[in-house]
Amino acid sequence: MSLIAGNTFLEAVRQRLFLFLVVVAAALVGGAQFFQSFDFGPDLGAASLKFLLDFGQGALVFFGSALTITATAQLFFSEIENRTALTLLAKPVWRAEFVLGKFLGVWAVVGVFCTLLTGLLVGLLWLRTGALLAANPGTFLHGGRILLGEVVIVCVLQWLKFGVLAMMTLLIASFSNTNLFSVVMGFFVLVICHLQHIAHHSYAKLTSLPLRLLVETFARLFPDFQLFNLAEQLGKPSGLDATLALRAGAYAFVYIVVFGLLAVFSFRRREI
Amino acid sequence: MSHDAATAPSAAIELRGVTKDFPVGLRGLKLRAVDNLTLDVPAGQVFGLLGPNGSGKSTTIKIILGLLEPTIGECRVVGVPSAQVESRRNVGYLPEAPYFYRYLSGAELVRFYARVCGVPRARLDTRVREVLDWVGLTGAAARRVGTYSKGMLQRVGLAQALVHDPRLVILDEPTAGVDPAGSADISQMILRLKSEGRTVLITSHLLAQIEDVCDRIAILDRGKLILEGAVAELVGRRDRQALIVESLPPAELDELRAWLAARGRALESIEQPRARLDEIFLREVARAEQEARP
Repeated sequence: MSLIAGNTFLEAVRQRLFLFLVVVAAALVGGAQFFQSFDFGPDLGAASLKFLLDFGQGALVFFGSALTITATAQLFFSEIENRTALTLLAKPVWRAEFVLGKFLGVWAVVGVFCTLLTGLLVGLLWLRTGALLAANPGTFLHGGRILLGEVVIVCVLQWLKFGVLAMMTLLIASFSNTNLFSVVMGFFVLVICHLQHIAHHSYAKLTSLPLRLLVETFARLFPDFQLFNLAEQLGKPSGLDATLALRAGAYAFVYIVVFGLLAVFSFRRREI
Repeated sequence: MSHDAATAPSAAIELRGVTKDFPVGLRGLKLRAVDNLTLDVPAGQVFGLLGPNGSGKSTTIKIILGLLEPTIGECRVVGVPSAQVESRRNVGYLPEAPYFYRYLSGAELVRFYARVCGVPRARLDTRVREVLDWVGLTGAAARRVGTYSKGMLQRVGLAQALVHDPRLVILDEPTAGVDPAGSADISQMILRLKSEGRTVLITSHLLAQIEDVCDRIAILDRGKLILEGAVAELVGRRDRQALIVESLPPAELDELRAWLAARGRALESIEQPRARLDEIFLREVARAEQEARP
């Protein structure tokens, strides 16, 4: 499995799409520090840090999602369409090893992407904080300082979310016939998962208990991706809620395992 | 690279009543790709699986490799049910028109498959070198697979199939798209595999090659076995003999006819033996290469 994951990783980093997304996302995050002519209001220090954080998080979420879905579908179908899967599965390799190897390879690629962007974001926040404190040592007397360790945790949660998204895309790819279908469905699922938060409120308003149970059961099939967005808590006096972060991590783990089992089951009898 | 025949089962592959149906559409219709196939591939022999396109050869190979489960029936590879991953430890497979990871070098590719097959790390480098040397790719081992010719792809494909020292080697159209010289090399390699005690299952549309290298053949048509037997028995005619002599003048030919007629025999045909085109091709290419050498 580790060999398949390693090979998948190697294939991904040699593709131009990965490099392109890394460069564009890094340029976007790096470019955020030049938007200093904006009017951030009276609480200039905290607001400018928050702006940097939001910009960086936005780039991470947007490009990370695109990379996760396209890389998962592409790296899976390149094996099927080029028939390298035929040679590989004719070796003493379990199909589960193939599926999980692909997942781990993609997740590692996304991990490198997240690490690069997080490193860049943390570096920018550190520089900006230093510059603000040098200009005015009392900048953060009333709060608003962003702890860099918490930024890393928030980015790790995004990486966990991408793990869930990769496994869901892999599940779709395990039964679909084309790369395009998997990519389109992957983005469709991404939108559903991001809208789950709103949908949960609507389900709660349903008066009919059987209908509510039915809809909620259906809703549980799709994870709620808003649970991973804890960046709003950064810079506030209470700081990051560690319990919520841990719960989000466990939530991701459960969904990865469940979707992983479904993907393995679905791929078990697929004709190669 | 030889195997102990005493520990190997008499049949490297056993197919018992294997039927494979594929669902077609949503109405529950089924396409029967393999129909009640019972076949033994004896250990240590070269076995040709023949048939027109769509006859079920590829499906049969996929069942042997455990890539497909038979709808009905049983398949064993070196005594192990083919559905078990363990059965593939004894099998090396070269797919038709192989495509490998283009970004790896030949040595890296073979090394990757060696590790997938569980070749011990201590033996990895030696084994990769051995097998690349065996297929004649030592000089190109450091080159990326993406730059290989078709013949070289077949060679590296054979190397990855042999790297874990399997008892059974399955070659699906190994000479498809390969020039006659490459095709002749592959035939030689197949005979070397046999001399090392391995079983080789080969599919090919080049029937002359099959006839040259195979001990036994089976012909499939629409999923059914229509003929199976030893090549020598199938192609030889026991009631006829061919005598090749230097050209006889007409008078001596008439004497021969008379001599045969006196014994109640007849001279059925007189033909001039023909050289095979592939033999001429190989001879002329070898001569041209020799002349081109400084």
